[in-house]
Amino acid sequence: MTQQNIEQFTKAVGNANEINELLRRYGVKFGIYKNGVFNEQFFPFDPIPRVIASEDFKSIEKGLVQRVNALNEFLFDIYHEKNIVRDGIIPENFIYISKGYLAQCEGITPPNRIYSHISGIDLVQAKDGEWYILEDNLRIPSGASYPLIARELTRIAAPEAFSENEIVDNRNYAQLLKETMEYTNCGGIRAILTPGRYNAAYFEHSYLAEHTGSVLVQNDELFVEDNILYHRTYSGGKTRIGVLYRRIADEYLDPLNFLPESLIGIPNLMEVYRSGNVGIINAPGNGVADDKGIYYFVPKMIKYYLGEDPILKNAPTYLPFYEEDMKYVMDNLEKLVIKDVAEAGGYGVVFGRELTKEKLEEFRRTIIAEPRRFIAQEVIDFLDLPILDNGETVMRKADLRAFVLSGETTRVWASGLTRFSRNPDSFVVNSSQGGGFKDTWVLK
Amino acid sequence: MTTISKEHSDRLYWLGRYTERAFTTLRTIQKLYDKMLDKSKGYADYLKCFGLYDSYGSNEAFINSFLYDGSNANSVAYSLERAYDNGIVLREEISTHSLSFLQLAKDSLAKSELSKNTRLSLLPLEDQLYAFWGCLNEYIYNDEIRNIIYIGKTIERLDLYIRMAYPFDTTQKEYIRLMKNLERAPKGTPYRYNTANYSELVKIMENEDGYKQNSEKVIGCLEHLFEPLEVTV
Repeated sequence: MTQQNIEQFTKAVGNANEINELLRRYGVKFGIYKNGVFNEQFFPFDPIPRVIASEDFKSIEKGLVQRVNALNEFLFDIYHEKNIVRDGIIPENFIYISKGYLAQCEGITPPNRIYSHISGIDLVQAKDGEWYILEDNLRIPSGASYPLIARELTRIAAPEAFSENEIVDNRNYAQLLKETMEYTNCGGIRAILTPGRYNAAYFEHSYLAEHTGSVLVQNDELFVEDNILYHRTYSGGKTRIGVLYRRIADEYLDPLNFLPESLIGIPNLMEVYRSGNVGIINAPGNGVADDKGIYYFVPKMIKYYLGEDPILKNAPTYLPFYEEDMKYVMDNLEKLVIKDVAEAGGYGVVFGRELTKEKLEEFRRTIIAEPRRFIAQEVIDFLDLPILDNGETVMRKADLRAFVLSGETTRVWASGLTRFSRNPDSFVVNSSQGGGFKDTWVLK
Repeated sequence: MTTISKEHSDRLYWLGRYTERAFTTLRTIQKLYDKMLDKSKGYADYLKCFGLYDSYGSNEAFINSFLYDGSNANSVAYSLERAYDNGIVLREEISTHSLSFLQLAKDSLAKSELSKNTRLSLLPLEDQLYAFWGCLNEYIYNDEIRNIIYIGKTIERLDLYIRMAYPFDTTQKEYIRLMKNLERAPKGTPYRYNTANYSELVKIMENEDGYKQNSEKVIGCLEHLFEPLEVTV
């Protein structure tokens, strides 16, 4: 079965409204701030799934495991010996000026030497069927809860779609996450740290807490005593936390080690972590490995650490930092997509073809002035996926965020978050920019 | 793996209170609706019970405000929204399923506002609130968590019943429920009753005369039941 069986799937999954009604009932929302005002929105779901054939998934799986293993090796190396720099594979400059590199993490070895426990790897499929990695997200990748609950609800709304097709059951994500958390547990309860109700991904935090049997906590419920992290109970007692799946950014984690003005962090958390008394998922400091500039070097990392050829390709990428690449970027700016390495969530992405001549020249000067700030990529003509739009099937750009969980072994969740653009002319699929999502079926 | 923080215990308590407030207000308004079929300003006594000024002028304006107006702190819409606000941060304690009944109740109320037959359109809402309580019982395995919600629920119900001058035997049943819930709260927790207010409450609710003469005191006792003023037992 292939993606081409659009009509069959459309018929099988039934009316999009029914499933969206169920998603609404169960509170599948995300929040966005616009002009300083918080709005909670339902995440639009398209019932036509992305379908990945079994053989195709096996190859993606192998490539993702390889990539995440190499990235974990890289993180250990960077915060210890830095052999990859010493051996001239990655210029020193790319490490130390990265905002994701945290000197405070130097010399720290996390439990079982795992840094990226949950990796969200963004891929796109080109029209020739080849998959390309667009981005690695090793800090706090979000989105797994949406296809997880969507599958549960789609099975209710369209049972025949699942009885008539051989689809791998993806409802094991919470179990995989729980096992990953337990593998990192240093003795105590599992907790998920949320910045609170008004965070964009609050639904996900609370849903994963419910389904992994973890306690959902905010910083003011936690404290450090004698180098142990505790949850303060309502009766004045305390419960030790052994593993903290934090959903707040590194710089806000611990005001005594990072941003002193952070109001959502836990003072001295880094000391507890450094002493091996709590596991933090994902490890602080991972940002150095998912920096858009470092992305360019991941295939080289795979070769360097694992001695293997990369199974999955990067999108063709140029670093204006290198003279040769700068020349190419300057000569081809109008056909490239330029990404600001400091931005995320679909922001800081500029398509050269969309700029006026004046803007293009202005942008050219900015790149020359700050070559390390940008990467340039060829625009991949990626496969459009069918979506239902007011009862009609239309084609839209879509990507796939695959989730890789690293515990005792590295495992790829047989599903993922397929995000699509609702705008026919846009390549930007992020939910914060109005995109929707689909289920991702991996066939048996 | 349950550990309850102060913040969550407050949320659990208020989840119970607001859901009950929405439910009792809904049922009362349905009774008033029936009364209004035969009487203009059939809501006047209800406003008096809560010391509220009549700024409505008509049965219809009253119904609209007390059912659907989210800015009226005494409306069903307001209480449901507050219940949901508390529930949404308690998903891992109360379950996605339980929370979904509050969402359904909110949706039913919104649909009801557009309906031509108010009373009929409110029936699903009442069912959904019953289902919410059933779902809580089904999904909450930790008695301590369930008990905090039920303490909030029974305190709210008792408070409303007393304000609306419900008969002693009805009120006493709710009072007995509350006593049982309070006894279940573990020692050393904030929901262990306060000695002075608890004793006062027990004394007043001993008989019908005490209840009739001191209903305002009962409301005061309930309000201050958990204030850590004195030694808890």
